[in-house]
Amino acid sequence: MVGPGILLVCIFVPIVGAIIVPFLGKINTGLRNISALVFVLISFISAACALPAALNGTPLVSSLELPLGFSFSYYGDALAVFMAMTSSLVAAIIVFYSFGYIEKYPNQNEYYSMVLLFIGSMMGLVFSTNLIFIYTYWEISAICCWRLIGFYRKEDTVIKANKAYLITVGGAIFMLAGFIGIYIQTGTFDLLALQGQGLDSWIVILILFGILSKSATLPFHSWLPDAGVAPSPVTSLLHAAVLVKIGVYVYARLFLVNFHLDVVWSTAIPIIAAISAIVAAGAAIVENDIKRIIAYSTISQLSFIFLGLSSGTMIGVAGGLLYILMHSLAKGGLFLCAGIIEHSTHTKDIRQMSGLAKRLPVTCVAFAMCAFSVMGIPPFGGFFSKYMVIDGSLLSGQPWITAVFIIGAVMTVIYLLRVFCKVFFGELSHPDIKEGTWEMVTSVAILGIMSLLAGIFINIPSQLTTFIVESLGRW
Amino acid sequence: MFNALNSLITSGSGVNLLIIMIIVPALLALITIIIPKRSYFGRAILFLIATVVNLLFAISLFVGEEMTMLIPWADFGINLSLRVYDFSQFMVLAAACFAFLVALYSISFMRNKSYSGKFFFYYLITLALVNGALLANNLVVMLFFWEGLLVTLFGMTIIGNAKRPAVAMKALILNGVADLLLMFGIAITAMQAGTMAMDMIVDIPMEGLGIVGFVCMMLGAIGKAGSMPFHSWIPDAAEQAPLPFMAILPAALEKMLGIYLLVRVCLTFYDFTPGSTLSIVVMAIGAITLVLAVAMALIQKDMKKLLSYHAISQVGYMILGIGTALPVGIVGGIFHMINHVIYKCCLFLTAGSVEKQAGTTDLNKISGLGRFMPITAICFIIAALSISGVPPFNGFFSKELIFDAALESGVIFYIAAILGAFLTAASFLKLGHAAFFGPVKLPEDVREKDMMEAPGAMLLPMIVLAAFCIFFGVGNAIPLSIIQPLLGDALGGANFAGWPHSTVLVLISIGVLLLAVLNHYLGYRRTGEGIKAVDHIHYLPGLHQVYNCAEKHYFDPYNILMLLFKFISYLCFAIDRCINWIYDVLFVKTIQGATTAMKNFNSGSTSRYIAWMFTGMAFVLMMFILLL
Repeated sequence: MVGPGILLVCIFVPIVGAIIVPFLGKINTGLRNISALVFVLISFISAACALPAALNGTPLVSSLELPLGFSFSYYGDALAVFMAMTSSLVAAIIVFYSFGYIEKYPNQNEYYSMVLLFIGSMMGLVFSTNLIFIYTYWEISAICCWRLIGFYRKEDTVIKANKAYLITVGGAIFMLAGFIGIYIQTGTFDLLALQGQGLDSWIVILILFGILSKSATLPFHSWLPDAGVAPSPVTSLLHAAVLVKIGVYVYARLFLVNFHLDVVWSTAIPIIAAISAIVAAGAAIVENDIKRIIAYSTISQLSFIFLGLSSGTMIGVAGGLLYILMHSLAKGGLFLCAGIIEHSTHTKDIRQMSGLAKRLPVTCVAFAMCAFSVMGIPPFGGFFSKYMVIDGSLLSGQPWITAVFIIGAVMTVIYLLRVFCKVFFGELSHPDIKEGTWEMVTSVAILGIMSLLAGIFINIPSQLTTFIVESLGRW
Repeated sequence: MFNALNSLITSGSGVNLLIIMIIVPALLALITIIIPKRSYFGRAILFLIATVVNLLFAISLFVGEEMTMLIPWADFGINLSLRVYDFSQFMVLAAACFAFLVALYSISFMRNKSYSGKFFFYYLITLALVNGALLANNLVVMLFFWEGLLVTLFGMTIIGNAKRPAVAMKALILNGVADLLLMFGIAITAMQAGTMAMDMIVDIPMEGLGIVGFVCMMLGAIGKAGSMPFHSWIPDAAEQAPLPFMAILPAALEKMLGIYLLVRVCLTFYDFTPGSTLSIVVMAIGAITLVLAVAMALIQKDMKKLLSYHAISQVGYMILGIGTALPVGIVGGIFHMINHVIYKCCLFLTAGSVEKQAGTTDLNKISGLGRFMPITAICFIIAALSISGVPPFNGFFSKELIFDAALESGVIFYIAAILGAFLTAASFLKLGHAAFFGPVKLPEDVREKDMMEAPGAMLLPMIVLAAFCIFFGVGNAIPLSIIQPLLGDALGGANFAGWPHSTVLVLISIGVLLLAVLNHYLGYRRTGEGIKAVDHIHYLPGLHQVYNCAEKHYFDPYNILMLLFKFISYLCFAIDRCINWIYDVLFVKTIQGATTAMKNFNSGSTSRYIAWMFTGMAFVLMMFILLL
């Protein structure tokens, strides 16, 4: 039997680890790498340990009373545990991949430290029930993201890092104002005490500023493609495991679990999402930088998640949650593959690559599997989440918006296929390159295979998401 | 024996035969790819055994009872629900037969090909997915297997051609569009029907969203079957993909799936009635497909490419027949589908023999092969007579049913159908004449004394298929006795077996065939070469220019689609750049401007500070006075 302390383990092992890791790095780099991976895995395992309690309907709570509404508690319900497990699992694979990728660069101690802090803040945010603490973890993640995007310390990468920081923090400040609005309206920051209220529109708008800027949705998206200057495991972390999923998670937490949105938002948010989906997909078709293409793809796919979550139907919300998982696995894999390609060819321009399948066979297959999953082609996991989101949106009575998303799905097929065919087929452009290190290749293979298994054994994640949706108690 | 097999598997272990149909080919596919590359023989034998096992299971399903199974899968009604009943029994059996015959052919054809292992792998996965799609009793589960074929389609088109991925990309995008439309259609259908269980969905009314749902599902179905406007990858793939792929996917299994779904959508899911607007739309798609595709087939100078256009054109007949919504049309459509698979498979296999022995299928380089490959030539002739609709081969009987239905639905459709028949006959006269008759011509690197008949493993499938062309023609009562009950009450007790009922239509059809022969004879007399026998049509003023444009892919729906998306994308990209400009330039400039302006206030000059002080004091004073 596990106690509520397991939640604290899940949050604070990576955070404390972030402090320890640089010192370990002074002693031995191998030790540092392994312990970083172990810290993330502990986080994953402890999140998994909290799952049975969440499924029994008695979520673990660990709380501390403080004056002035600052008392906080960590609360491990099914939604939080699902999100924590998804993030920490993908993050663990990314950390493992980093062993090979990052070994030649300076500032590795800082790198591992920041990655761990990043993951720890994600865990903290996921389990927190106090709005102020959600905001705090949110900002910690922004700082980590700022350091990591600027990892190479070149002038233009620092500018891009600043941009990412300013946009997400700018959004977060609006969100904080929204949280204060909630306090004014209800007198508490504690989400456990806030169930089923309605919110004034101005509060919703302020909070949406924060969510949309973190989740890189139009018109606050432009930092995300620029963040591609970061090392590939970092972009993978941003896109798949932590950063952009924070916004989606907070949306689900606030607007599905706690507050009831007005009817107008169930049309407004899908419209914003639809515009975001199409514009980003269009930009992905035009771009030539492999990492920017995949970044635009994230923006486009996040819109599908928002569409599902905002549909207000059971199947749509469940689809949106499944989409978070499937997208994490597949998009993480795509970025890691892009990292291998960039590492081998020293370019990110797809016009200069072709025929790499001959030299990078495992990467090619893993890329294909992840790309098919993002496209929503069975037997990969993305199929079910895409279908459920589409179905949910249709059931919410807005067939025109659904039709726009079908066009978005077609564009997804086009841009991913374009990258895939351009990079891996045709005349061989780089005859003397090698496959990535074994850590890197194993990581992408694991993500590709997991995307496949998530589709064939959809019943396992689906049971969890269905449980979450049913425990919302709305339908 | 098969019942015994059936009960052996189902009893005790608790495993259902239905799920075995999907799992066994997939598992054997995985084993096939694990076997080391150098033991081609081991791989090939395992591959063949897999298709034989699949065939045995399919037979035992066919002789068995109606069966269902249900495993909970994803929630919200997405259960792994499978069902076998008369229609799917028949389809699964047919698919298994073709899969076995083409597999037998492939192991001989694929020897010495570097990608043979991958080909076998994709082939078996395809088989598993096709079985799944035919047996699925849940719309989403069907879509799962159906759309999964995209992966194997892409894989099979890319393996022989890793240097030129454009065709594979085209195939995947066109089919992907069709499948996403199908996804939309299925979501609407499930919503309208209130269930995803396919046996519970009956006669959804055609109004409002129902129309959209019907159109999307119909487009998805005909897209899989390779109808216009989702067709244009097929001729391209014919040039580059391995030939057994052409014989098994675009010519056989995809047609069967597409028509299977189209029949189910038209016959049961939706309230689809003769004479309705949508019926006319479906018939129009069929008629346009059949005429335009056969017109393109007529001018082809490559055997595989010519056949691939016929694979498109013939699906037009099936859609036309089913689109009439008349019992005779639907029976004709299904019967034509099965006949088509038989003769088109056979034709592709003969083309494969030619390619294997002569090294090319370019009609400019080969001629008079009949004397080296007599059995191939005979099989070709039988299949060509079938596709041209010559009695008493199987194509004749199914075409007559469709002609009958088309005439009842509108003269224009009948005219399109017989025009198609004329062009089909003309192009096969040209093809047969050019490839197998006339003076001997071989590619430069092939010597006459090395030319010989294809190996036995390749001949056997062709002979079997050719025999079926005759058998399903002469004994058409047997296939029709399986097909007709599928319609249930809609059939109204009619029986279309035996000689066609309308003698007038038969006479017109025979007249059209004679006209085609006359046309060929005149063309041959004019130019002296079989390959140029239809040049007088090709170079007809006016038509010639249209043909030129078509050959340059100006009418290719794929190019139009991509152009459209390119336009949208550049627009989107411009929007994206504008937003980016706001962040990167506008914000930065505004803030820089503001700071510069504020700097001027703090220039360090004492006099200016004093001036500011007095201004401020004056302002405060003003406020006081005004407030008082």
